[in-house]
Order: sequence, then structure tokens, then C-alpha cells
Amino acid sequence: MVPVSDTAPAVAPPPATGLAALRDMRAARRHRRVQETEWFEALYRVYLAAIVIGGSVLFISGIFEDTVATTNDISHITEHGPNILGIIVAVAFFLGVRSGASGGPIAVEDAEVRHVLLAPLDIRSALRKPAIQRLRSAAFAGALAGAAAGQLAARRLPGSLGAWAFYGAIYGACVGMVWVGAALLVHGLRLPNTLVTLFASALVFWQAGVTVADTNAPGPFDAFGSMALWALHIEAIDLIAVVITTITALAGIFVVGSLSLEALARRSNLVAQLRFAVTLQDIRTVMLLRRQLSQEQMRATPWLTLKRRGSLPPVARRGVQSFLKFPARRYARMKLMVVLAALAQVAAYRGTTPAIVASGLCLFVFGLELVEPLSQEVDKPERTDSLPIDRGALMLRHLVVPAVMLIPFSVVAIVTALIFEHDGAAIATAAILAPFALATGMAGAVINAVKGAPDPLGDNAKSLFMPPEVAGMTTMTRAVLPIIVATLGSLPVIAVRESVESGNHPVGAAVRACVGVALLLFLVVGWVRQRDAIRLWWKNSVEESQQHKRKTSVST
Amino acid sequence: MTRHPTPPGRRNNEGATPSPQLPPAAIEAAAIEKDYGDAPALHPLTLRIEHGQTVALLGHNGSGKTTFIRMAAGLLDPTDGTVTIDGHAPSSIEARTLTSYLADTPVFYDDLSVWEHLEYVARMHGLSDWEQQAADLLDHLGLYARAEELPQRFSRGLRQKAAIAIAFIRPFELLLVDEPFVGLDAAGKEALLALFDQAAADGATVVVATHELSFVNRVQRIVALRDGHLIHDGPPANTDIDALVRTDAVG
Repeated sequence: MVPVSDTAPAVAPPPATGLAALRDMRAARRHRRVQETEWFEALYRVYLAAIVIGGSVLFISGIFEDTVATTNDISHITEHGPNILGIIVAVAFFLGVRSGASGGPIAVEDAEVRHVLLAPLDIRSALRKPAIQRLRSAAFAGALAGAAAGQLAARRLPGSLGAWAFYGAIYGACVGMVWVGAALLVHGLRLPNTLVTLFASALVFWQAGVTVADTNAPGPFDAFGSMALWALHIEAIDLIAVVITTITALAGIFVVGSLSLEALARRSNLVAQLRFAVTLQDIRTVMLLRRQLSQEQMRATPWLTLKRRGSLPPVARRGVQSFLKFPARRYARMKLMVVLAALAQVAAYRGTTPAIVASGLCLFVFGLELVEPLSQEVDKPERTDSLPIDRGALMLRHLVVPAVMLIPFSVVAIVTALIFEHDGAAIATAAILAPFALATGMAGAVINAVKGAPDPLGDNAKSLFMPPEVAGMTTMTRAVLPIIVATLGSLPVIAVRESVESGNHPVGAAVRACVGVALLLFLVVGWVRQRDAIRLWWKNSVEESQQHKRKTSVST
Repeated sequence: MTRHPTPPGRRNNEGATPSPQLPPAAIEAAAIEKDYGDAPALHPLTLRIEHGQTVALLGHNGSGKTTFIRMAAGLLDPTDGTVTIDGHAPSSIEARTLTSYLADTPVFYDDLSVWEHLEYVARMHGLSDWEQQAADLLDHLGLYARAEELPQRFSRGLRQKAAIAIAFIRPFELLLVDEPFVGLDAAGKEALLALFDQAAADGATVVVATHELSFVNRVQRIVALRDGHLIHDGPPANTDIDALVRTDAVG
């Protein structure tokens, strides 16, 4: 007798039966995960992250004296702060809407889609937990970022550090929940992509419009921004922001049963890879997978068609082809990163020194997008190695087109800076600083991409045998070094600020500081070109020294 | 002269609408289509599969077989048109109760054993006395001795057998199967064919996308797709299966 299940007709189980099985399964898996967790390793990772991230913020903000805000500054912040901080919420709402329209924000395991969501269970009950987890993690991350920003604000503004951090955390949590809640709502209600994108864009423009136009007209997200400034001035009406956030989040959880199985299935596989990439601190892969998650694809037809027999060298031609196939949204994202970096540099120039870290991070992300042709080459080592060109020379050639692409983006940065600093010296200073800052962002990205390349000398394999402390630090260095390099290019703005405060001309300071940055760029270019040769030389030296030691010990 | 010979029994009923008087079919697709961005995967397709039929779905790579099966399973939303399972939307709780889907790529939880998979899947489908059924299935597939192992670490063939056990542990009236013979050894193929026969004998509707002649030879109906179009729909008696499969192979 062949054991096919029940000959009786399939009937839906009572809701409680299936859900009890699901609960038991999740409990059993959680129990197993807890049992198998390497607590020491997990704590070690948290410890390293806390030292590197927290320490960096505190160290950098402690190097320079932050300028205490004047009464004028404070009244300016009280008046315009809610508008400006409201833009962040508007952008979070926009991103949430976009995420929901492209199948986000929840991602469950592939097996969960196949075995749970195709079972006759109430999908809302099955997905409620992942939805709440997503909301919780977004709120937590937002609260952390908000608290960090709050403590930085407390250095320049009146009010206790605790109050700034607390209200910053509430604001950040609201930002995170608005993002996830909006995404759940748009996805669950299956709202039309174009319509909701237009609506969210209109809200962003409205909020940005009231900020730039300097009017008394309210922006849609002012209450959120005002709440972040409660350390200065409490307005009870701002609690409406918390109410809106709560309603959005609850409504999002309510519609979770209507999420598309197609979107969940598509995302499940990518998210598993994404988590793995995050575990390895592989930022470039994380970006690559995020693009796939949002279904961002290269254009089938390029913006311009190159002649079949052009005069460009092949590597440069390949780079140009790549940029001609970038989708509009990637260019928009690159511009956004440059604008944010420019805004951060303006903030640093005006006294908020730690803003250079934000500038460095934005430029690093911008750089990762920019060095796409090189990254593609690195991802296909078998093709690279089959070419009759030295690997370093080939990688260098791949940097020519991205370097040329820095010019238009530098113009974007300069124009952004000029909106806030209008005088002639500022134009000259921005024109000097912008290309160097963007180039170091690119240099950081180049280091990230090249260090991710397979090592022909096999040292990656050796790292498997390193003690955990050394391996952990090596991994952290690999993840953090490119960001540090990207951030170094933003430091000249501090030199310019110091120079202006000492009564000197800013242009001279900018030129002097940029000489240092140029030297750094030269070193990075040299490293890319000679990396293999340097590593070979080092390996040979170590082997020779070991052989010498062995001979000496044998002879004695 | 066309590149491919026209298969016998070809019936071009694309775009036709099903008769409203008929009772709900096991699967009823009304002008369903699917595209992935610029790439169309399935052109408007109308197809009615009655209860209790055993159907082989043939077609070359990229012909739209998997897309059709995934739409019927509720894992893909049609770009246009509708598909129903016994009159219900594929993602409805009623359709999920009726349908068992065995995908071309086995997927498992990485921390659950074969036995645990069977337990939870059976219980989620309302079975309380599942142990004996699970033991018999695993024994039939030659997997009993490895029931406590993690299927995620199995070879391709063993993973396929574990996936088959999971698909058959639960009650169903419609079985949707995509390329189930890939990676199976001869004994595994025999065991699977026996399971299909038993399911059909019990009155289930069985739809299998496959190139396996041993299965195609025993079905009641063959449906063939090419480049997202329906190119053949008929009983095997009137069909030159070899020609269809050869076309399928070179297409």
C-alpha cells in the first residue's frame, strides 16, 4: 500500500490547530537557536562594534571644540528645526512607501513561504510576528541613531544631555516606525505604485518647500521635528506625531494578512543572502542585494548608444557603457548622497564637527555606486585573470571613467553648498573642497572593492587559522578602513573653519588641506596598482626569513 | 516553413473564456498572463483542468510551465486574467487547503530534521495521527533511516525525496508538481510514480511539469507550452509524445 495521506477530502483545519503547530515550531526553533548561540562570539562582536562606532563618534567629536550656539542660533533652530527634522520623517515615509510598493518591508525565510504561508493558516496570524519584529528593529535602530544625534546636539545647545538623547530617541523611533508602517500599509493594501509614489513625493516637496521658503506655513511632518526639540521647548500638540506613528504601525500590522506571497517569496531568498553579507560586513554585497530587493535593474537600452567602432579604449568603453545603463533611480540616489554629504560639510563648517562622519559615510556609499565597473571586474576574477594585462593596471584603467564622472557630481555638491554659504570665498572654497572630498569617497569604495577581490597569494585561506581576536580585528579593519579613508577627505572643511575663525582666508587653508588629501589619493592609486607586487614581496620576505631561521636552527 | 513541427492534437484556444455554466474545475485559468518587467513569461492562457485528471505539462526551458504552476499554487500573481482552484483564489485558505505544491527546488528550514518537517507540516494541515503516515512515507522513499538528519545537508536526490515526503504527508485534492524527477535515482522515480498513481486513484487532480516519459505515458492529458503559448492540449492517445518531447528538447 502506497502511503498517500488521507483519502478523505482535504478540509481546512480549525484555525487554532494549525496556529498551535506553527507556534510550537517557532518555539522549538528559537529554543535550538538559543542553545546553539556562541554567546562569547556574539558579545565580542557587540563589544567591537561599540568600540569602533561609538568610540569613533565620541573621539572625532572630542578632537575639535564644538561651537556653543548663540541666542540667535537657538531661536533659528526653534523656528526652523521642526521643518528641517520633518524632512527626515518625510523621506522615511517616502522610502517606506517605495519599499512597500516593491514588496517590502517584511522578509521571511524561503521555507516559511513554502511550508507556512502555503498551509491553510490565517496568514495575518502567521505574519504578525515578523511584522512586529520588523517594526521593533526599525524603531530600535531609529532610537539609537536619534539618541546619538541628541547627545551631539546637547554639546552645542542648552538642555541636559539626557533630555536631548531621550527626545532624540523618541523621534528616531517614530522615524523607523513611520518607515516600516508606511511600507506595510502600501504593500498590504496593494496601493498603486505610481499613485503612492506621487503622494509621498508631494509630501516630501511640501516639507522641503516650507523649509527652504522660510514661511510660517506648516509642513506635514513638523510635529515630528518639533518633538525632537523638546529639550528646548515642549509643545503638547506635537504628541500628534506619536499618535500618527502608532496608528500607521497598527494599521500596517492589521493589513499584514494581505501581503503578496509573490513578493514575500522573491524577497525571502535575497534577504538570506543579505543577512549573510551583513554578517561578513560586506557592504558592497549588501548594496548589490538591496538593489535586487527593490527590483532595480540596469537599463536594457542605454541613455545614449555608443558607436560600434568607437575610439575609446576597451576598458574605458566598458565603463562608459556601464554608466549609460545606470537606471535613473541610481543616479538620483548618487545625487542624494552627494547633497547629503554637502549638507553635512556645511553643518561641520558651521560648528557641528561630527557631521564630517556623516559626510564620509554618504560619500563612501556614493563611491560604491560610482566604482560599479571596477566592482563588476572584481566579481569576475576568472575573466580578469584571463586578460593579458597586469591586474593592478587593469583595475587602475577601470577608475578613469568613474574619475571623470566625479566632475558633474562635484558641481552638484558645490551648488548645494552655495545654497547655504553665498559669498565669493565660499564658492572658491567649495570648488576646491568638493572634488577632493568626492574623490576620497571613491577611494574608500575602491579599497572596499579591491580588498574584496580574491587573493591570488592565498592569504585569505591563512586568515581562517588566525586567532579569533586577530581575525575579528582584520574583518573590522576591512570594513572600517574604507570608511575612514572616505571620511578623511571631508576633514579639510574643519581646517577651513579653523582658519576662518583665526581670521585667515579660507581658500589658502582649503588648498593646503587638499594637498594632504591629494597625497592620500596618490597612495590609494599606488596601492591599487602595486598591491599584488607588494603582497608578493612581503610573502617572499617572510618565507626567506623563515628559511633562514630554519637553517640557523639546523646548523646550531 | 516553421522551425518546429506542429505537434499533433494542437488546439489553439488562447484567449477563450470558460463557459460560465460549468461547475468549478480543479484549476481554471481564464486568459492569465504574466510578465517580468519587459519579458513576457506567459501569454494569455485559458485552461480548464477537471477534478481527478492526471495532467503532464510539457515545454522547453522558459516555456512558462513553472510560471503556470506557481500561479496556480498562489506564489505568483497573474499580470492579467484570473486563476481559480475549485472556484477559489489560489491564495485563499480554501485553495491552500486543497493544494499541495512540490517545487522544482526543495526548500527546508536549515535547523529542522526531516521528521520535524513532517511533524509540523502535518500538524499545520490539521493532522493529528501523522506519525505512522510519516514513517510509511519515509520508508517508501528509502529515507526512514535518515529521518532525524537535517535535509538541508542532504544531496540533491535525498533533498528531493524529503520534499516529496513533505508534499505527500498532508491531505490534498490537487497536487501541483514541478520537475519532480530531477536528481532521483531509479528507485526514487519508481517510488514517486507509485505515489502519483495512488493519489490519482484516490481521486486527486495531479498536474506535473516534467520531461519524464515514464510519467507522461500514464497521464490522461498532455498540455504543452512553448514561449508562453499553449501549443498542445489533448489526451495521450492522440498525441505523438515522442515528437512533443523531442520538440521540447530542441526548443
